[in-house]
Amino acid sequence: MSMAPDLRARLAADYQPVRALRSPWARALGVLPLGLIALVAAPLAFDVRPDASRLGWFGVWGFSLLQSAIGFLVVAAALRESIPGRGWSRGAIALWLSMPLAIIVGITMFSWQFSPVMLRREFWVVGGMCFAGSAAMALPVVALTSILAARAYPTRPAIAGALLGLGAGLMADAGWRIFCHFSEPAHVLSAHLAAVIMSTVIGTLATISVAGVTSETPAE
Amino acid sequence: MEDQRLRELMREYQAGRFEAFDEIHAAIAPALRRYLLSQARDAARADDLVQETFLQMHRARHTYDSSFPLMPWSMAIARHVWLMDCRTRSRRPWAPDDVMDLELPVRAEAASLAERSEVRRALRQVSPDRRDAVIQHHLLGFSFKEIAERAGIAETAAKLRSSRGMAQLRALLKGSSK
Repeated sequence: MSMAPDLRARLAADYQPVRALRSPWARALGVLPLGLIALVAAPLAFDVRPDASRLGWFGVWGFSLLQSAIGFLVVAAALRESIPGRGWSRGAIALWLSMPLAIIVGITMFSWQFSPVMLRREFWVVGGMCFAGSAAMALPVVALTSILAARAYPTRPAIAGALLGLGAGLMADAGWRIFCHFSEPAHVLSAHLAAVIMSTVIGTLATISVAGVTSETPAE
Repeated sequence: MEDQRLRELMREYQAGRFEAFDEIHAAIAPALRRYLLSQARDAARADDLVQETFLQMHRARHTYDSSFPLMPWSMAIARHVWLMDCRTRSRRPWAPDDVMDLELPVRAEAASLAERSEVRRALRQVSPDRRDAVIQHHLLGFSFKEIAERAGIAETAAKLRSSRGMAQLRALLKGSSK
C-alpha cells in the first residue's frame, strides 16, 4: 500500500525537520517558576497566617509544599495526557482527579484539628476574597500549561485541560493557605476548594480553545 | 516491519528525511485502514480517514517520542480522526444525498460537455465525502477553506477530496461515453 501521489505532494509542500518534544516531566519543569511564585506571592504580599506558631513549620509550609508538589505532578500528568498514545486510563484519570481533592480535605482537617479558627463575620465576603485571590493566582499557570498541552496534540483536550487546571489550582491554593488562617472547614471547602474547581473548569475550557486554534494552523 | 525499525524511521522523518514517511506509510497503512474500516464500515470513507490520519501524523510528528512504540501513537491519532469525522458528520448542515436533490447550477458551456442526467448518475457513484467536496467547490463555489471549516477537516484534506472526486467523476463519465 503506497502513499497516494497527491497526499505525498501535500506533505512534501510544508515538510520541515522538527525537534521532538521533551518528555512531559521535563516540559512541566517550565511551570515550576510560576508555581513557586504562586506559592510565595500571598504570604509575601499579605504576611504569613497569624496562627503559624500553633501549626508549626510543617503545618504551614510543609503541607503547602506537599500540595504544590502534588499540583506539579498533576500538571505533568496533564502534559503526558496531551501526547497521542500516552493518555491515562479511566482509573488513572479518576485517581489523578480525586487524590488532590482528598489531599485538600486532609490538610483542612489537620489545620482545623490543631488550630481551629472560625470565620464569624462576613463569611461570604471573606470567602469571595479567598476564592477570587486563589483562582486569580492559578491563571498564569493555567495559561502557560494550556499552551504547553496544545503544542502537543491533545486527542482528549477536555481531560488534559481539567488535569492541568486542577494542578494549577492546587499550586495556587497552596500559597493562599499560607496567608489565610481561617481553618473552618466550611470556609476552606467552599471558598478554597471552589477556587481549585474553578481553575479546573478554566483549564478545561482554555485547553479546548487553544487546542482548537492550534489544530487549524498549518503544520510546522 | 519490526517496531525498532518503525521507531528509527520516524526519528529519521523528524530529523529531515522525508522519504522515511513512504516506508512508514507502507508499513502501517494496512493496519490503520483495517482499524478505520472496522469503525466506518465504508471502504471509501476508511480510505479518506487513512489519508487524514497520515496528514495529522505529519502535523503532529514533533509529538512522537521514539523511546515508545509507533503504533499506539498512530492508532491514537487514527482514533481521534475517526471521532472528529463522526462529530463533523453529526453537525453537518445537510446530508450529501440532499445535495443530489438540489437543482444544480450548470454553466451553459459546461452543459454541452455532458448530459446533466449522466453527470448526476456519475456523481451518485462518487463516495459521499468526495462528492460533497466536488459539489461544494465546483458547483456551489465554496473555497477549500470554507469546505474544510464546514466539514471540520484540514484545508489540504478538502482539496484532496475534491481532486480525487473530480478524478473519479472524470473516469466515470469517460466510461459512460464509450
